[in-house]
Amino acid sequence: MLRCATKNFGVLEYEAGAVLTFPRGLPGFETETLFVPIEQEASKPALFLQSLVTAKLCFIALPMETIDPAYQLKVSDEDLRVIGASSGTSESLRCLAVVCAGRGRPTANLLGPIVINRDTRKAVQAVRDDGLYAVEHPLLAESEAEECW
Amino acid sequence: MLVIRRRAGESLFIGDGVEIRILDVGPSQVKLGIEAPKEVTVLRNEVRQTQQANLDAARQTSPESVKNLLKQLRQ
Repeated sequence: MLRCATKNFGVLEYEAGAVLTFPRGLPGFETETLFVPIEQEASKPALFLQSLVTAKLCFIALPMETIDPAYQLKVSDEDLRVIGASSGTSESLRCLAVVCAGRGRPTANLLGPIVINRDTRKAVQAVRDDGLYAVEHPLLAESEAEECW
Repeated sequence: MLVIRRRAGESLFIGDGVEIRILDVGPSQVKLGIEAPKEVTVLRNEVRQTQQANLDAARQTSPESVKNLLKQLRQ
């Protein structure tokens, strides 16, 4: 078992095989190339993506199918290359959306899904270019959000 | 906004160092070639939006915000 400091959970023990490599980092976080997903019973289906480079960096993500079961994943050939996949291997891909859960209406980024190749444990934030999905997809209908905040 | 009409093969300059060449004009897309100094960042707008969204998302990631989020989603 390996150990790392985390933003929310103190020192975490994790298996080397759990690590996700983002060869290009993420937009805005180009040097953050190693993350470990933290899934907790109480937080399901959400999960935490804890950086192994910067302890205080952690994202919240939701599996794409829990947000939009009809989401049509589209990954460029270049992004597929980054994660060692080809267009024929879509069944080994897992798709997450980064959640912005700050004050106001929670949103998820459907424009730039995180695409993980389960076979290589490599991942990329595959930003689309077809304008079909929003960068701030509301997770709640407007009326619900108003009641909550 | 400055509007300039260009054909495939033509180019324009922004400042001294950045040249944008129209390589190809298709029915729904134009192909641009960009020559810029190393220190100039060239990003698709979508990537820039995702960059900003990531910076916002990284600010609010406590278990409490997840708890709140899940509570709202389950209502």
